[in-house]
Amino acid sequence: MSLIRVDDIAKSYGKVIAVDGLSLRVEEGSIMGLIGPNGAGKTTTIKMILGLLKPERGFVRVFSEEPWDNPDIKSKIGVIYEKAHFPSHHKVLDYLERVCRIFGKPESRAREVLALTRLEDAHDRNIKALSAGMLQKFAIAHALINEPSLIIADEPTSNLDPESRSNLLDLILKLHRDDNVTFLISSHILPELSRVCESVAIINQGKVWASGSLTELSERLGAKTTRISTDNPEALGELIRKLEYVNRVEVDSRGVSVGVLAGEDERLYEDVPKLAKEAKAKIVGIETGTASLEELSRLAVKSGQGGGHRWEKAGPS
Amino acid sequence: MGKGRPFLEIFTCALKEDYRFPILEIFAFFFALGTFVFADLGAYAQNGEALAYSLVRTLWGFPLFFIFVVLILKNVAYGLGSDLDKGVIQTLFSYPLKRRYILTAKLLSALGIALLLFLGIQIFGLFLLAPDVILTYSSTVFLTCAAHLCSPALLLAGLVLLLTLRLKRGGFALIIGVVLYLAFTIISPWAPSIAYATGSDLALKIWAVIDPNLALQRYYLGTIWFPSETWAPSFSEVLLYLGAGYLIVAALFIIGYVYFERRLGI
Repeated sequence: MSLIRVDDIAKSYGKVIAVDGLSLRVEEGSIMGLIGPNGAGKTTTIKMILGLLKPERGFVRVFSEEPWDNPDIKSKIGVIYEKAHFPSHHKVLDYLERVCRIFGKPESRAREVLALTRLEDAHDRNIKALSAGMLQKFAIAHALINEPSLIIADEPTSNLDPESRSNLLDLILKLHRDDNVTFLISSHILPELSRVCESVAIINQGKVWASGSLTELSERLGAKTTRISTDNPEALGELIRKLEYVNRVEVDSRGVSVGVLAGEDERLYEDVPKLAKEAKAKIVGIETGTASLEELSRLAVKSGQGGGHRWEKAGPS
Repeated sequence: MGKGRPFLEIFTCALKEDYRFPILEIFAFFFALGTFVFADLGAYAQNGEALAYSLVRTLWGFPLFFIFVVLILKNVAYGLGSDLDKGVIQTLFSYPLKRRYILTAKLLSALGIALLLFLGIQIFGLFLLAPDVILTYSSTVFLTCAAHLCSPALLLAGLVLLLTLRLKRGGFALIIGVVLYLAFTIISPWAPSIAYATGSDLALKIWAVIDPNLALQRYYLGTIWFPSETWAPSFSEVLLYLGAGYLIVAALFIIGYVYFERRLGI
C-alpha cells in the first residue's frame, strides 16, 4: 500500500519552475530517500506532500487523503523541517508536554522523546537558547511525540555533529525495524541516505530522473563500478577513457574506478590486462561492485541533461 | 480527538508569545494611568448623552489609543508576520487542527486580549471617574466604544492582517501598519474641510461609512463644532453607518480567513 502517492505535480514561483510533472510513491514500511542538488525541487515536493503548498496540477494523496488542511492525517505524521522553528519563549519540556496534549498523548511521552534524542539535559532550557544542533534534535523529538506511522524529514541531519548524525540514523533504523515506521527523507548527504534508505528517488529540475532500490538503479543505469588497483593509475586511466563502452573514469593515487554500460563488464575484464601492459602498469587487484549513491545521482542527472531518457516510469509503483 | 484541546493549547501558546513579561504589565499600567490623566474633564461643560460621548471619546484619542494601536500592530503584524516568515506557522500546521482554528487562536490572543485589556481598563476607569454618567448612559458608552473600535482599530487590524498574510514578513507589515494608522489620522480631518469647501455633505457621509464615529459625533454633538455644515444624522442613520463600518471590517477578516484557509502556501 502506498502511504504517499504523488502524481504529475507541478509548482512554480513566478517564472521559476520548482516542480514539473513529478510522480512518486512511498510504500508502507519503506524508507525512501529523496536526493538531488540544491534547487532540485525536494523541499517544494515535501511541502506539497505536507499540504503546505498546493500543486498547480496533478494530485497528492497521503494515507489516501488530500493533505491540504486535513487534520485527520496530521496525527499519523511526524515532520522534521530543514529549518525548524517553534514558539521560542517556551522551555523545551514545557513545549513538548503542550504538544503531547495537542496530540492527546500522555505528558510522560515528552520525557521519552527527549531520552530518544539524547536531549534530557536540555529539558529546562528555553527553546530560543538552544544551539542549532540542539534545535535540530528538538525538532526530531517534536516529530516523534505523536508516535507517527509516517515520518517526513527534510534534511534531518543538517546542523548535527557526526555522532548525532549517526545516532539519528540508528534511531531511524530502530523505528523502522521495531515500529514499522515509514520514512521519506530528503537529503543531499548521500552516504547517510545510502546507510538507511531502501529506495531512492533522484530529483533534478523538478522531475524524478530515476527511482528504485540502489541495486535496481545500479542495474538500470548501468552504473556498476569496477575498481582497478594499480601502481600507475594516471596512464592506465588515460587508456581506459578511450574505450567506447566506458561511461566514466575516476583516477586517484591508488587506482582507477570505471563505470561501464550495462552488460559490458566482461569486456572490461578482457581489455584491462592489455591496456595495463601498454601503460606499463602493474595490476594489484580488480573487482566490480554497486555504484555509490553519489555516482548514481550524478549519472542519472547527467543522462537526463544529455537528452537521455528519464527513469521515473520505471520506478516502483 | 476533539478540537477543543488543541485549540486551547495553541491559544495559550500564542498568549505566552504575545504577552510575555512585562508587555502586558506595561500596557496595563499605561491604560490605567492614562484613563485618569487624559480624561477630558472639560466634557462636563456638556450634559446628558453628549457628556457621556465626550468623556469616552477623549480616551480613544492620542496617546492612549496610539498605545493600543501599537499593541495590536505588534501582535497582528509583527507577531503573526514573524511566525509566517520564520516558519512557526509551518510547525503549527503539523498539528491536528484546521487552519481556521489556528488563525482564530492567534487572532484571539493578538486582538481579543488586547481589546479586553484596553476596554476593560478604560470602562472601569471611567466608572471610577464618573459612575453616574456610565450607569445612566451605558448605551451611549457602548455605541461610542463600538464606533471607535470599528474604525480605525478593527479596520486597521483587518487591513494589516491581509497585508501580513500576503507579505509574510513581520517587520515590513508592522511599518506599513504604522503608516496606515498615520495616514488615517491625517486623512480623517479632510472630510469636514472638503464639506466646508464644497458646501456638500457627501464627503462627510462617505467618510462616515469608513469611520462611523463621525456620524456618532454629529449625532451627539450636532453641528456646534462645525457651524458651516448642516449634516446631523438621525439615530437610525448612525446605526446604519455603524453597521456599514462593521460590514467592511467583517469583509476584511473574512477575506483574511478565506486566504489563510484556502490559498496560503508557506
